[in-house]
Amino acid sequence: MNRTADPARLDAEITALRQRLEEAEDMRRAITSGEVDAFVVGQGGDNQRVLLLAGAYQRYRQVVERMQQGAVTVSVSGDMLFANQRFSDMLGVPISKLFAAPLEAYVTAQDRARLSSFLLVAARNSAVEVTFVQEDGKQLRARVALASFSDGYLTLLITDLEPLRRLGAACEQIAAARGAIDALGRTAGLDAAGRKAAETLGADLARICAQLDSLLEGASAVASHLPSESPSPLRQ
Amino acid sequence: MSADQASQHDGNEKWELRLYTAGQTPKSVAALANLKRVCEEHLAGNYSIEVIDLMKNPRLAKEDEIIAIPTLVRKIPAPLRKIIGDLSNTERALVGLQLRPRT
Repeated sequence: MNRTADPARLDAEITALRQRLEEAEDMRRAITSGEVDAFVVGQGGDNQRVLLLAGAYQRYRQVVERMQQGAVTVSVSGDMLFANQRFSDMLGVPISKLFAAPLEAYVTAQDRARLSSFLLVAARNSAVEVTFVQEDGKQLRARVALASFSDGYLTLLITDLEPLRRLGAACEQIAAARGAIDALGRTAGLDAAGRKAAETLGADLARICAQLDSLLEGASAVASHLPSESPSPLRQ
Repeated sequence: MSADQASQHDGNEKWELRLYTAGQTPKSVAALANLKRVCEEHLAGNYSIEVIDLMKNPRLAKEDEIIAIPTLVRKIPAPLRKIIGDLSNTERALVGLQLRPRT
Protein backbone atom coordinates (compact mmCIF):
# COMPACT_ATOMS: atom_id res chain seq x y z
CA MET A 1 0.00 0.00 0.00
CA ASN A 2 1.35 3.36 -0.96
CA ARG A 3 0.56 5.54 2.06
CA THR A 4 2.20 8.63 0.66
CA ALA A 5 -0.17 8.75 -2.29
CA ASP A 6 -2.87 10.49 -0.24
CA PRO A 7 -1.66 13.87 1.06
CA ALA A 8 -4.81 14.46 3.14
CA ARG A 9 -4.40 11.15 4.91
CA LEU A 10 -0.73 11.87 5.45
CA ASP A 11 -1.60 15.23 6.99
CA ALA A 12 -4.09 13.58 9.32
CA GLU A 13 -1.51 11.02 10.39
CA ILE A 14 1.08 13.70 11.00
CA THR A 15 -1.42 15.72 13.05
CA ALA A 16 -2.34 12.67 15.14
CA LEU A 17 1.30 11.73 15.65
CA ARG A 18 2.17 15.29 16.59
CA GLN A 19 -0.60 15.32 19.19
CA ARG A 20 0.57 12.02 20.66
CA LEU A 21 4.12 13.32 20.77
CA GLU A 22 2.95 16.47 22.55
CA GLU A 23 1.04 14.39 25.07
CA ALA A 24 4.05 12.17 25.68
CA GLU A 25 6.26 15.23 26.13
CA ASP A 26 3.66 16.80 28.44
CA MET A 27 3.58 13.64 30.53
CA ARG A 28 7.38 13.53 30.75
CA ARG A 29 7.42 17.16 31.85
CA ALA A 30 4.62 16.65 34.40
CA ILE A 31 6.35 13.61 35.91
CA THR A 32 9.80 15.13 36.10
CA SER A 33 8.46 18.36 37.60
CA GLY A 34 6.46 16.47 40.24
CA GLU A 35 3.01 17.56 39.03
CA VAL A 36 1.46 14.10 39.23
CA ASP A 37 1.16 11.82 42.24
CA ALA A 38 -0.67 8.78 40.88
CA PHE A 39 -0.66 6.45 37.89
CA VAL A 40 -3.11 4.07 36.32
CA VAL A 41 -1.59 0.65 35.79
CA GLY A 42 -2.92 -2.65 34.42
CA GLN A 43 -4.23 -3.82 31.10
CA GLY A 44 -7.72 -2.35 30.89
CA GLY A 45 -11.00 -3.40 32.50
CA ASP A 46 -10.91 -5.00 35.91
CA ASN A 47 -7.12 -5.17 35.94
CA GLN A 48 -6.72 -1.42 36.02
CA ARG A 49 -5.84 0.16 39.34
CA VAL A 50 -4.42 3.39 40.68
CA LEU A 51 -0.96 3.48 42.22
CA LEU A 52 -0.19 6.47 44.43
CA LEU A 53 3.30 7.88 44.74
CA ALA A 54 4.70 8.02 48.26
CA GLY A 55 4.14 11.76 48.64
CA ALA A 56 0.42 11.34 48.05
CA TYR A 57 0.14 9.42 51.32
CA GLN A 58 2.16 11.82 53.41
CA ARG A 59 -0.57 14.08 54.79
CA TYR A 60 -2.87 11.15 55.45
CA ARG A 61 -0.08 9.37 57.28
CA GLN A 62 0.56 12.47 59.39
CA VAL A 63 -3.07 12.39 60.53
CA VAL A 64 -2.92 8.68 61.27
CA GLU A 65 0.37 9.06 63.14
CA ARG A 66 -1.02 11.78 65.37
CA MET A 67 -4.44 10.35 66.10
CA GLN A 68 -5.27 9.14 69.57
CA GLN A 69 -6.59 5.80 68.43
CA GLY A 70 -4.33 2.91 67.55
CA ALA A 71 -4.32 2.03 63.86
CA VAL A 72 -2.87 -1.10 62.34
CA THR A 73 -3.03 -2.72 58.92
CA VAL A 74 -2.89 -6.51 58.89
CA SER A 75 -3.20 -9.30 56.36
CA VAL A 76 -6.11 -11.69 56.79
CA SER A 77 -3.66 -14.05 58.44
CA GLY A 78 -2.91 -11.32 60.99
CA ASP A 79 0.59 -10.19 60.05
CA MET A 80 1.09 -6.48 60.67
CA LEU A 81 1.99 -4.35 57.68
CA PHE A 82 1.69 -0.96 59.32
CA ALA A 83 1.10 0.33 62.84
CA ASN A 84 0.84 3.92 64.03
CA GLN A 85 2.68 5.43 66.98
CA ARG A 86 -0.36 5.26 69.26
CA PHE A 87 -0.71 1.50 68.80
CA SER A 88 3.01 1.11 69.40
CA ASP A 89 2.61 3.10 72.64
CA MET A 90 -0.40 1.03 73.69
CA LEU A 91 1.67 -2.12 73.47
CA GLY A 92 4.90 -0.55 74.65
CA VAL A 93 6.62 -2.07 71.63
CA PRO A 94 8.67 -0.11 69.03
CA ILE A 95 6.98 0.19 65.63
CA SER A 96 9.95 -1.48 63.95
CA LYS A 97 9.33 -4.59 66.03
CA LEU A 98 5.65 -4.70 65.09
CA PHE A 99 6.34 -4.70 61.35
CA ALA A 100 5.54 -8.15 59.88
CA ALA A 101 4.85 -9.56 63.36
CA PRO A 102 1.58 -11.43 63.98
CA LEU A 103 -1.02 -9.30 65.76
CA GLU A 104 -2.13 -12.37 67.69
CA ALA A 105 1.24 -12.49 69.42
CA TYR A 106 0.16 -9.42 71.41
CA VAL A 107 -3.25 -10.79 72.39
CA THR A 108 -3.99 -13.03 75.36
CA ALA A 109 -4.17 -16.74 74.56
CA GLN A 110 -7.90 -16.90 75.32
CA ASP A 111 -8.70 -14.08 72.86
CA ARG A 112 -6.58 -15.28 69.93
CA ALA A 113 -9.21 -17.51 68.36
CA ARG A 114 -11.80 -14.70 68.55
CA LEU A 115 -9.41 -12.28 66.92
CA SER A 116 -8.53 -14.75 64.16
CA SER A 117 -12.19 -15.37 63.41
CA PHE A 118 -12.83 -11.64 63.37
CA LEU A 119 -10.02 -11.05 60.87
CA LEU A 120 -11.39 -13.74 58.59
CA VAL A 121 -15.03 -12.73 58.52
CA ALA A 122 -15.16 -9.16 59.80
CA ALA A 123 -17.50 -6.86 57.97
CA ARG A 124 -16.86 -3.18 57.76
CA ASN A 125 -18.02 -1.35 60.90
CA SER A 126 -17.93 -4.50 62.98
CA ALA A 127 -15.85 -4.70 66.15
CA VAL A 128 -14.58 -7.14 68.72
CA GLU A 129 -13.16 -6.60 72.21
CA VAL A 130 -9.90 -8.33 73.03
CA THR A 131 -7.21 -8.08 75.68
CA PHE A 132 -3.74 -7.14 74.49
CA VAL A 133 -0.61 -8.05 76.36
CA GLN A 134 1.89 -5.25 76.68
CA GLU A 135 5.62 -5.70 76.45
CA ASP A 136 5.92 -5.61 80.23
CA GLY A 137 3.19 -8.23 80.66
CA LYS A 138 0.40 -5.82 81.66
CA GLN A 139 -2.93 -6.34 79.98
CA LEU A 140 -4.95 -3.79 78.08
CA ARG A 141 -8.59 -4.27 77.16
CA ALA A 142 -9.34 -2.71 73.79
CA ARG A 143 -11.94 -2.61 71.09
CA VAL A 144 -10.74 -3.67 67.64
CA ALA A 145 -12.87 -2.26 64.84
CA LEU A 146 -12.56 -2.87 61.13
CA ALA A 147 -12.16 0.44 59.31
CA SER A 148 -11.52 -0.86 55.81
CA PHE A 149 -10.66 -3.95 53.84
CA SER A 150 -8.95 -3.94 50.46
CA ASP A 151 -6.41 -5.95 48.51
CA GLY A 152 -6.39 -8.64 51.19
CA TYR A 153 -5.46 -6.24 53.98
CA LEU A 154 -7.57 -5.00 56.87
CA THR A 155 -7.14 -1.65 58.54
CA LEU A 156 -8.12 -1.84 62.19
CA LEU A 157 -8.75 0.90 64.73
CA ILE A 158 -7.79 0.01 68.27
CA THR A 159 -9.40 1.85 71.18
CA ASP A 160 -8.06 1.52 74.70
CA LEU A 161 -11.10 0.87 76.93
CA GLU A 162 -9.28 1.55 80.20
CA PRO A 163 -10.16 5.28 80.37
CA LEU A 164 -13.81 4.36 79.83
CA ARG A 165 -13.62 1.72 82.54
CA ARG A 166 -12.14 4.25 84.96
CA LEU A 167 -14.82 6.78 84.09
CA GLY A 168 -17.49 4.16 84.69
CA ALA A 169 -15.97 3.28 88.06
CA ALA A 170 -15.95 6.97 89.05
CA CYS A 171 -19.63 7.19 88.12
CA GLU A 172 -20.42 4.23 90.33
CA GLN A 173 -18.51 5.70 93.27
CA ILE A 174 -20.32 9.00 92.99
CA ALA A 175 -23.68 7.23 92.69
CA ALA A 176 -22.85 5.28 95.86
CA ALA A 177 -21.85 8.47 97.72
CA ARG A 178 -25.09 10.09 96.63
CA GLY A 179 -27.05 7.15 97.98
CA ALA A 180 -25.24 7.41 101.30
CA ILE A 181 -25.95 11.14 101.57
CA ASP A 182 -29.62 10.60 100.70
CA ALA A 183 -29.78 8.02 103.46
CA LEU A 184 -28.06 10.42 105.83
CA GLY A 185 -30.62 13.10 105.01
CA ARG A 186 -33.40 10.74 106.08
CA THR A 187 -31.72 9.90 109.37
CA ALA A 188 -33.95 10.64 112.37
CA GLY A 189 -32.61 13.29 114.69
CA LEU A 190 -30.81 15.27 111.99
CA ASP A 191 -31.63 18.92 112.44
CA ALA A 192 -33.10 21.07 109.68
CA ALA A 193 -29.75 22.57 108.73
CA GLY A 194 -28.21 19.10 108.44
CA ARG A 195 -31.08 17.83 106.31
CA LYS A 196 -30.82 20.91 104.09
CA ALA A 197 -27.06 20.40 103.67
CA ALA A 198 -27.56 16.70 102.83
CA GLU A 199 -30.28 17.63 100.35
CA THR A 200 -28.06 20.22 98.65
CA LEU A 201 -25.10 17.85 98.51
CA GLY A 202 -27.34 15.09 97.12
CA ALA A 203 -28.63 17.44 94.42
CA ASP A 204 -25.06 18.46 93.52
CA LEU A 205 -23.99 14.84 93.26
CA ALA A 206 -27.04 14.06 91.12
CA ARG A 207 -25.95 16.80 88.72
CA ILE A 208 -22.40 15.48 88.66
CA CYS A 209 -23.73 11.97 88.03
CA ALA A 210 -25.82 13.20 85.11
CA GLN A 211 -22.84 15.04 83.62
CA LEU A 212 -20.58 12.02 84.03
CA ASP A 213 -23.21 9.78 82.45
CA SER A 214 -23.39 12.15 79.52
CA LEU A 215 -19.59 12.23 79.28
CA LEU A 216 -19.49 8.45 79.44
CA GLU A 217 -22.10 8.23 76.74
CA GLY A 218 -20.10 10.53 74.47
CA ALA A 219 -16.79 8.83 75.22
CA SER A 220 -18.27 5.43 74.45
CA ALA A 221 -19.60 6.69 71.16
CA VAL A 222 -16.23 8.20 70.24
CA ALA A 223 -14.39 5.07 71.33
CA SER A 224 -16.41 2.98 68.98
CA HIS A 225 -18.45 4.91 66.52
CA LEU A 226 -19.06 1.31 65.62
CA PRO A 227 -21.50 -1.18 67.05
CA SER A 228 -20.05 -3.14 69.90
CA GLU A 229 -20.35 -6.94 69.87
CA SER A 230 -21.75 -6.71 73.38
CA PRO A 231 -22.91 -3.95 75.73
CA SER A 232 -20.06 -1.99 77.24
CA PRO A 233 -19.08 -3.28 80.68
CA LEU A 234 -19.74 0.24 81.91
CA ARG A 235 -23.40 -0.03 81.06
CA GLN A 236 -23.94 -3.39 82.67
CA MET B 1 -7.51 26.67 9.10
CA SER B 2 -5.71 24.25 11.39
CA ALA B 3 -7.39 22.19 14.08
CA ASP B 4 -5.71 24.33 16.70
CA GLN B 5 -7.00 27.53 15.22
CA ALA B 6 -10.47 26.05 14.84
CA SER B 7 -10.66 25.21 18.51
CA GLN B 8 -9.91 28.70 19.80
CA HIS B 9 -12.55 29.80 22.27
CA ASP B 10 -15.26 31.74 20.48
CA GLY B 11 -16.89 32.92 23.72
CA ASN B 12 -20.25 31.25 23.06
CA GLU B 13 -19.66 27.52 23.14
CA LYS B 14 -19.92 25.95 26.58
CA TRP B 15 -16.72 24.21 27.52
CA GLU B 16 -16.90 20.68 28.84
CA LEU B 17 -13.92 19.69 30.91
CA ARG B 18 -13.19 16.44 32.64
CA LEU B 19 -10.65 16.18 35.43
CA TYR B 20 -9.34 12.76 36.37
CA THR B 21 -8.25 12.61 40.02
CA ALA B 22 -7.01 10.02 42.50
CA GLY B 23 -9.13 10.71 45.56
CA GLN B 24 -7.87 13.69 47.49
CA THR B 25 -4.17 13.47 46.85
CA PRO B 26 -2.38 16.83 47.07
CA LYS B 27 -1.92 17.03 43.29
CA SER B 28 -5.53 16.11 42.57
CA VAL B 29 -6.83 18.73 45.00
CA ALA B 30 -4.42 21.32 43.61
CA ALA B 31 -5.45 20.53 40.05
CA LEU B 32 -9.13 21.03 40.83
CA ALA B 33 -8.49 24.31 42.64
CA ASN B 34 -6.25 25.59 39.83
CA LEU B 35 -8.73 24.51 37.18
CA LYS B 36 -11.62 26.32 38.87
CA ARG B 37 -9.54 29.47 39.16
CA VAL B 38 -8.46 29.38 35.49
CA CYS B 39 -12.01 28.69 34.32
CA GLU B 40 -13.51 31.49 36.37
CA GLU B 41 -10.91 33.93 35.09
CA HIS B 42 -10.98 32.95 31.43
CA LEU B 43 -14.29 31.22 30.71
CA ALA B 44 -16.56 33.35 32.90
CA GLY B 45 -18.94 30.62 34.03
CA ASN B 46 -19.32 29.24 30.52
CA TYR B 47 -17.97 25.83 31.41
CA SER B 48 -18.69 22.60 33.23
CA ILE B 49 -16.20 20.47 35.10
CA GLU B 50 -16.75 16.77 35.58
CA VAL B 51 -14.47 15.25 38.21
CA ILE B 52 -13.78 11.55 37.85
CA ASP B 53 -12.20 9.89 40.86
CA LEU B 54 -10.20 6.95 39.55
CA MET B 55 -9.60 5.67 43.07
CA LYS B 56 -13.29 4.80 43.14
CA ASN B 57 -13.46 3.41 39.63
CA PRO B 58 -10.11 2.87 37.86
CA ARG B 59 -11.85 1.36 34.84
CA LEU B 60 -13.01 4.83 33.80
CA ALA B 61 -9.41 5.62 32.89
CA LYS B 62 -9.82 3.59 29.74
CA GLU B 63 -12.17 5.97 27.93
CA ASP B 64 -9.62 8.78 27.72
CA GLU B 65 -6.54 6.55 27.99
CA ILE B 66 -5.44 8.13 31.26
CA ILE B 67 -2.06 7.08 32.61
CA ALA B 68 -0.90 9.85 34.95
CA ILE B 69 -3.09 11.61 37.52
CA PRO B 70 -4.25 14.34 37.65
CA THR B 71 -5.09 14.75 33.98
CA LEU B 72 -7.48 17.30 32.53
CA VAL B 73 -9.36 16.46 29.35
CA ARG B 74 -10.99 19.13 27.26
CA LYS B 75 -13.97 17.36 25.67
CA ILE B 76 -15.59 20.42 24.12
CA PRO B 77 -14.61 22.38 22.13
CA ALA B 78 -13.08 19.80 19.83
CA PRO B 79 -10.50 18.57 19.27
CA LEU B 80 -10.00 16.67 22.49
CA ARG B 81 -7.00 17.94 24.45
CA LYS B 82 -5.23 16.50 27.46
CA ILE B 83 -3.22 18.41 30.02
CA ILE B 84 -1.28 16.32 32.48
CA GLY B 85 -0.35 17.62 35.92
CA ASP B 86 -1.71 19.80 38.71
CA LEU B 87 -2.16 22.91 36.48
CA SER B 88 0.05 24.90 38.85
CA ASN B 89 1.67 26.59 35.86
CA THR B 90 -1.18 28.82 34.72
CA GLU B 91 0.53 29.85 31.49
CA ARG B 92 1.03 26.24 30.47
CA ALA B 93 -2.55 25.39 31.43
CA LEU B 94 -3.89 28.21 29.27
CA VAL B 95 -1.75 27.12 26.31
CA GLY B 96 -2.84 23.51 26.84
CA LEU B 97 -6.49 24.54 26.85
CA GLN B 98 -5.76 26.72 23.82
CA LEU B 99 -7.01 29.76 25.64
CA ARG B 100 -3.67 31.33 24.83
CA PRO B 101 -1.58 30.77 21.68
CA ARG B 102 1.62 28.81 21.97
CA THR B 103 4.61 31.17 21.92
